[in-house]
Amino acid sequence: MTEFSDAMSAAASGMRAQATRLRHVSENIANADTPGYRRKTVSFDAQVVQGRDTGAVETGPVRLDRTALARVHDPAHPLADADGFYDGSNVDLMVEVADAREASRSYEANLKMFDQVRQMSSALMDLLRK
Amino acid sequence: MNGSLDIFRMAGAMARNAGARQAMIASNVANADTPGYSARHLRPFSETYGDTANVTARVTRPGHVDAGAAPAGRSDPSDAEPSPDGNTVSIETEMLEAVRAQGEHTRALAIYRHALGVLRTSLGGGR
Repeated sequence: MTEFSDAMSAAASGMRAQATRLRHVSENIANADTPGYRRKTVSFDAQVVQGRDTGAVETGPVRLDRTALARVHDPAHPLADADGFYDGSNVDLMVEVADAREASRSYEANLKMFDQVRQMSSALMDLLRK
Repeated sequence: MNGSLDIFRMAGAMARNAGARQAMIASNVANADTPGYSARHLRPFSETYGDTANVTARVTRPGHVDAGAAPAGRSDPSDAEPSPDGNTVSIETEMLEAVRAQGEHTRALAIYRHALGVLRTSLGGGR
């Protein structure tokens, strides 16, 4: 029985991690045109509690992408410097959309695992009902 | 009588093995995007059944090393090509294994239920 709760908590942690990732992707896309915005990235780590591998996944701290900001030429922009350039964001929409797709696929896989484990444990419970 | 109790024990062990395998697959899927994670799998029931070499010691004191508590997962480096971040989890393989484990669990429970029916009938209780 404890295996099922382990499996369910692992699947739930996977869904939580993918949802966090998707949240940062949507923040990045929302701020794609914000001047000076650096895209946020989130790291995944295998969870270890008291030296024991729990099998779950956890998200690390949010990091900012260190790549150079895009230089946008627009002399009419309020933030433009003497040469007519201002710092845009370093968000690449294609990368973000690809990341979102991958997160959603992984989320579905975790959801499927959760459902399968739930079916197995309810089959076990049916045995008691007889 | 002894024979029918044996079948309960075997069906229980098979269901437990399927559950443990499913838990390991769930953690593999959860870590499908973790850099450097290598996929782990337990041996299937057909390989571990009757495997007396694998007897674990009993833990009677807190100071003892608990060797039998967590089934040690076997990591298989040969199975899949690691992705650029060093992760060897393949979602397709995991899904296949999960369906197989679920089928095995269902089968074990069906055997258990059937044996229970036979036992009840032999005791005169009917179904």
